[in-house]
Amino acid sequence: MTVNDLKLRLRALLRPDRVEQELDEELAFHIERETRKLIDAGMTPREARARAQARFGSTALAADRCRDERGTALVDDTLRDVQYAWRTFAKAPLAAFTIVFTVAVGLGVVAAVFTVLNSLLFRVDQVPGVGEMYSVERTQAADGVPAPPSRAMFDAMRADTHVFTDAYAAVPEIDLHVDGRRMAVTLVTGNFFQVVRVNPVMGRPLMPGDDARSGGNPVMVLSHKGWDRHFNRDPSVLGRTVLVNGAPFEIIGITAAGFRGLEVGGPDLWAPLSQLGQFRPADRGREDSAAVEIVGRLRPDISKDTARAQLAAWDSNRTPAAAPRRSTNLDLLPRRGTIPQPLETVALFAPLFVAFGLILMIGCANVANLLLARGVARQREIGIRLSLGASRRRIVRQLMTESVLLALAAAAGGYLISRLALQGAVHWALQTMPVDIGDVNLGVPAADWRVAVFLVAGAVAATGFFALMPALHATAIDPVRTLRGELVKDARPGRARNALIGVQVFASALLLIGAAIFLRSAIASARFDPGLRTADTVMIDIASEPKRAAMAQAVANDATITAYAAVRPQLLAPLRVAFADAGAGKAPVVFKSVSGPYFDVLGIPIVRGRAFTSWERDQHPVAIVSESVARTLWPGGSGVGETFQLEPDSGVQRHAGFLTINPDAPANDALPQARMLTVVGVARDVPGFRITDVKEAGVFLPTALDVAKTSVVARVQGDPNLARQALLERLTRVDPNMGMIITMRTVARLETFFLEMAFWVSLILGGLALLLTVSGLFSVLSYLVEQRTREIGVRMALGASAHTITRLMLAQTARPVTAGLIAGAALAAALATAALATPAGALISKIVHVTDPVAYLASLGVIVAACLSAAWIPAARAAKLDPMRTLRQE
Amino acid sequence: MTRTPDLLPGTLDLLILRTLQRDPLHGWAVSERIQQISEDVLQINQGSLYPALHRLEHQGWIEAEWKVSELGRRAKYYRLTASGRRQLAVEAREWERMANAIGRVMKLA
Repeated sequence: MTVNDLKLRLRALLRPDRVEQELDEELAFHIERETRKLIDAGMTPREARARAQARFGSTALAADRCRDERGTALVDDTLRDVQYAWRTFAKAPLAAFTIVFTVAVGLGVVAAVFTVLNSLLFRVDQVPGVGEMYSVERTQAADGVPAPPSRAMFDAMRADTHVFTDAYAAVPEIDLHVDGRRMAVTLVTGNFFQVVRVNPVMGRPLMPGDDARSGGNPVMVLSHKGWDRHFNRDPSVLGRTVLVNGAPFEIIGITAAGFRGLEVGGPDLWAPLSQLGQFRPADRGREDSAAVEIVGRLRPDISKDTARAQLAAWDSNRTPAAAPRRSTNLDLLPRRGTIPQPLETVALFAPLFVAFGLILMIGCANVANLLLARGVARQREIGIRLSLGASRRRIVRQLMTESVLLALAAAAGGYLISRLALQGAVHWALQTMPVDIGDVNLGVPAADWRVAVFLVAGAVAATGFFALMPALHATAIDPVRTLRGELVKDARPGRARNALIGVQVFASALLLIGAAIFLRSAIASARFDPGLRTADTVMIDIASEPKRAAMAQAVANDATITAYAAVRPQLLAPLRVAFADAGAGKAPVVFKSVSGPYFDVLGIPIVRGRAFTSWERDQHPVAIVSESVARTLWPGGSGVGETFQLEPDSGVQRHAGFLTINPDAPANDALPQARMLTVVGVARDVPGFRITDVKEAGVFLPTALDVAKTSVVARVQGDPNLARQALLERLTRVDPNMGMIITMRTVARLETFFLEMAFWVSLILGGLALLLTVSGLFSVLSYLVEQRTREIGVRMALGASAHTITRLMLAQTARPVTAGLIAGAALAAALATAALATPAGALISKIVHVTDPVAYLASLGVIVAACLSAAWIPAARAAKLDPMRTLRQE
Repeated sequence: MTRTPDLLPGTLDLLILRTLQRDPLHGWAVSERIQQISEDVLQINQGSLYPALHRLEHQGWIEAEWKVSELGRRAKYYRLTASGRRQLAVEAREWERMANAIGRVMKLA
């Protein structure tokens, strides 16, 4: 590039108007001069001018090529294309708005999902070099449940292996009361802050010395969130002590806002892992064997696979061969995000993405249809430009500029919509979530550059792809014919348009069938009667054994509690199966231990015999069985007074349902050592709560509240929610660490709640889909009527009745709509069948009726009605056409 | 109208430079002069003339200034620069070699 060139380019960039004007003037002069020459040769001025112009060819094209030579053409053209695009939008604002809005809605909902996914999988705030972080997981061998890593294993690993530059262990998300405030605590080894390379903004970090087994320090570092929520950002909290289960802990540091460790929400505070017993009394004395998560920074010179192999070799050498059942494999999972990333996690989000992506797809199909219709309308304009000598390339570029502008607007709109959707969803979830599930701390995940890239790329892809097709299509026209006013026949076969309609109907059908299924299941679940008294009963967990006596005392003395009983395991924990052997036959039964008043508190009638007395407790050789167990073991007999044995089931341990409230719950307790159990009573069969894996027990054994691991079921006076609040307050004073109190109403509502959530999500998506489909159908049909006006006129002139015309137009859409409906229903059924085949499916199928014919028919009916009404208006308009007028347009 | 033979690629620049060797001309005059001298054999495609002029201007071989023309209105006159003269010499030599080579082939073949 010469100096001269640079000068000229600069001038062209800085004084574009002047340069443009000079170019026009130069070309005009040429034609003028040529005209003069021809006039001198004896032509009339008019003739001469025409000849000169003809000889020169297209001035616009020449000017364009001159601009190309100038090298600023790109900037120039783009600016002019943008201006031109603005004018186009201003001329048809509704069309532009429709495109932007449609893409923005579709993109917005997908981006909302992506934002959540992003905060879970790809984003850890403020942890430098997070790409090196891996968590050490134990994967399941062929048999049994893998033992999670423990503190002991972590210490050994740090001593023996060198695949990590450094690693820390943590016990995340312990909920407890600190100074009467409910806090989320993460316990970490003393080197945590060094490993994540983050220092508190105030005070000091935890040090390895704080975490020493003996002589460690009772200290804690607050997260910015905890400091804000519990101490109102009071800077004087540094150095203050707070009580954790009666022991004083000193606040030594506060981290920066936004730092949340490697967790989704982030804790309120971090404390040394060696203090586990103080924070979770249940683990006192087993600090070494409690489950921890291990996260390390991989050494830069080692590949992930090498590291995994080394760790696995080390681990299998470490585990004694005497325990072959412990044959586990170690795996390393990347921790770029807040959750370890096996592929399953990503796969988990796939259906969500598909569901939301369907909306985007429908929207884009609409946009394509609209643009195709517009493309035909703009053929004239494009034809004029082509005949003025604009190259096809320039026109396509101009149309592309338009779609990029639309895309950027749509991306901005999509961002707004995604934020609104997330805010709305979080707000709504917090509003409707039963309070007693726990202090749920949901935040709206922030968007970052990845979300921005996702939005822009998505918008450009959506509008670009769907706008470029029509653009290419529109420029492949013959300028002369177009100018003559003969619009080129819509060269796109109706097949493509029908396919678009079909796809839209298909997607709406899929989503609406889902919504209908969830709705029906939610209604059924709300009507479902567990056969247990739920109106005025609550469940109280006793978390720390040392406080058991005091807690039992407090429950016994509480004024709001009118009756209470002990139960083990707690109500929401899955029950284990044992074999009942009554000599005549063996039967698998589920069992639990309860105290005498249990049946009365929950309103389970004892149909024969009696309930337990207060002196019958653990290891008493008595039992109460349900009617069905009695029938199975002693057909024809009453069951009372019979004897049987319970033998442990050595089979596979059952896994809990899709919702486990408390995974640490004691799954079961030992079977009674008594050889023979005498049946003292027979209880009515009740369904129990469906949300746990197993319904109400078949065999009840006696226990009492002073026995370890029992929880309380209590009947309360007045409104159970108010009673729950009052109890929580009073019992927390007895044991700041107490577990949860849940009203039975909430337990009964849990499954309904999740179904309702699923229903609303799919209803909103399905509604959006239907709305877009209907508007798309409407615009396509209107356009078709417009296009076939003349044909319709001819038909009517030849004697077709208005009725026939309406039918003709409706028939246009019948086929794609039907095809879409069938495909949607078929895929929904296929997905349902596939879901039933999974292990979780068996449980879900009890609650969600995935092949509910009523749901299918209702949703398909809604779609047909909506499509009919959308098609009706243009069809009726077609029938009202005046044949004479349409024919006169010739 | 007789079809004008297409110019050999690259020769348009050479012709323009050569035409501007003596005195500054505006675009129309350049095309006119080429036509006259070649006795109407070479008719410049006007649509390519101006892009070529602008290209040469950017390469610094010619420079432009606006002057009042024979019609009494402004026109853009192009003048050969020093580097343009050097370029013309180079291109003319190239052309000479080409023409000679083609001539020899035509004679012998």
